[in-house]
Amino acid sequence: MLLAFLLASLLAQDSSSVGRSPNAAIGRQPRTIAIDDAFAERAHLKVGDRVSISVAPGMAGDTVVVGAIVKRGADPSEVARGDLRVRMHLDQLQAVAGYGDRVDRFAISTTPAADIPRLIDRINGVAFGFQAYRSHDIAVETSRTFQVVSRFHRAIGIITIVASSVFLLCIMVLKVEERRRDIAALRLMGISRATVMRAIVIEAALVAVLGSALGVAIGWAISLVVNWHYQALYQTPLAFSIVTAPTIAFAVSLSLLLGITAGVMASLRLVRTPPLALFGR
Amino acid sequence: MRAALAQASLIRHRARTILAVLGVAVAAAMLLDMVMLATGMRESFRELLLSRGFEIRLAPKGTLPFDTDATIRGVSAIIATLRKNPDVREISPVLGASIHVLTGNRDVSGSALGINPSVQGDYELLSGRDVTTSDALVANDHLLRQLGARVGDTLNVATGYDPQTRTYSGQRKLVVTGRVRFIYGATDQSSAAMRRETLEGMNPQSRDRASLFMVRVSSGANAEQVRDWIDKQLPDVTAISIATAIAQVDERLSYFRQLALILGAVSLFVGFLLVTTLVTVSVNERVGEIAVMRAIGVSRSHVVEQIVLEGVAISLAGAVLGLALGLVTARYLNTILSAFPGLPMAIDFFLFQPRAAWSALGLLIVSGIGAGIYPAWRAASLPIAESLRREAIA
Repeated sequence: MLLAFLLASLLAQDSSSVGRSPNAAIGRQPRTIAIDDAFAERAHLKVGDRVSISVAPGMAGDTVVVGAIVKRGADPSEVARGDLRVRMHLDQLQAVAGYGDRVDRFAISTTPAADIPRLIDRINGVAFGFQAYRSHDIAVETSRTFQVVSRFHRAIGIITIVASSVFLLCIMVLKVEERRRDIAALRLMGISRATVMRAIVIEAALVAVLGSALGVAIGWAISLVVNWHYQALYQTPLAFSIVTAPTIAFAVSLSLLLGITAGVMASLRLVRTPPLALFGR
Repeated sequence: MRAALAQASLIRHRARTILAVLGVAVAAAMLLDMVMLATGMRESFRELLLSRGFEIRLAPKGTLPFDTDATIRGVSAIIATLRKNPDVREISPVLGASIHVLTGNRDVSGSALGINPSVQGDYELLSGRDVTTSDALVANDHLLRQLGARVGDTLNVATGYDPQTRTYSGQRKLVVTGRVRFIYGATDQSSAAMRRETLEGMNPQSRDRASLFMVRVSSGANAEQVRDWIDKQLPDVTAISIATAIAQVDERLSYFRQLALILGAVSLFVGFLLVTTLVTVSVNERVGEIAVMRAIGVSRSHVVEQIVLEGVAISLAGAVLGLALGLVTARYLNTILSAFPGLPMAIDFFLFQPRAAWSALGLLIVSGIGAGIYPAWRAASLPIAESLRREAIA
């Protein structure tokens, strides 16, 4: 809530309005704040600009100087919210907001050997008015949105795999069936059924591997485009699409499996059919 | 005749045709789901906002309704200002707060709305009676289940919790007079409503404050004009009309629309490719047959129509199967996305609209026709004598 007020009331000021600042009134140099790059872009602010900051629109604020423009971290919880961020000195924010000697939370860094559950129990045992949580537990609670998106992606992925499996199977069967005359000729020349089958399956596997390699290249290119587009859209360095070795291994293995299955299915049908029938006689 | 020949050609390679129809069906299901996702979310949200007839909402400046804990001060003054506009028919100020229901050694927390029952647009009464008295409270099933309470029970309700001192700013005994369903509430949200003055009385800091105003305009009035007027009259609030709310939601959920567009296009392309491949292979296998037909006087257009019909038949059969499959998968995907924290339970990401089904079907038929064009052109432009000779030699 406080942040929203602050953001709503951060107004660009020209030098003529500096006279209203409490800092200026007592002859102090204005303090500095850091704003994120999205804020700087939207409000047309640059380092060195003076702005007035207050907790509600129209209230007398404190004049501060934009000391830094910071790049946002890759925080998924900020994606699509469009919040604008201002970083201030703690005492400065407490004064502007009339918060007194209060904070919303403490972050505690522990030593590598620390027994964290025990530490949390000890803090909660003596705490009055606050509760200690493990960062991991808070992360789990706040990442529910991403868990839902992740489940949705998984479901879409399964449907896509089913669709591409049927497609691949169909294409491979067609491709092998197209070779019925070649196969008939091979059989009439005395090549054994097993050899013909092996040749068809190897060919199907090769096509599947080549197709997978092309697919991986296209997927990688699409991944670059997706990241470029969404990083620009949401102004975040977050990676939206990552091509990993296990993903590639899964795609290639699935494709190979389907290619071989299709090759076996189609070649079994063809080698069982008399060669002359394959010729259409 | 053409249809019979196309049917015969498809039946001749039954396994292949079934596989192609299955492939198109999965692509069609995906396409339908994506069309539903692209349009459903917006439509569902619009229906939700319009369900109680309030066209404009006023939130604290720079925020969306209940997006933050911020409140608007001067409820009476704002109502007086709004009343000056003859196009404003009804105003419903709503105050939101966190409440704690104290039962024995348990403290069940939830959210509460302070409303005026005669003009409220936040809930519908399922049983019992509305909050007609200052000691009345209505609650949703989730809160009642958590409390093990029923209509008629008296609850010890507190608000304004200060974690530093572990005290409440106000505490009061309220009687549950009704069971309600909150229109904008999430599935797992414990919510209650009481008269605004009751909630204000329990937290003096919220006196004459509201979290949200809902405004109903007169029939025939232009909501956008009223919104512009409010923006000018009340600079400390953000006036949101249905159109601006939908635009803001669109912006936040643009990811899903873009995903729908990309996956829909890929599905359509995959279906197209599958049908094209199948019909092309089928034409290649029937070069001799087509040459004979052309030699005995069958026209080019007849051949083209027969082959295009084959493509359309596969697409149509796949589409019909796919539409059924798409509805099942849409329901499953909707269940997944409904678990979004804080999402109103009335929002559907995948909303079935006949228009969506017709769009998907239309796209598939057009793609089926398109898929048949290349093989049909090849078949129609076969050199008759040469093809017959090659067939005879083979």
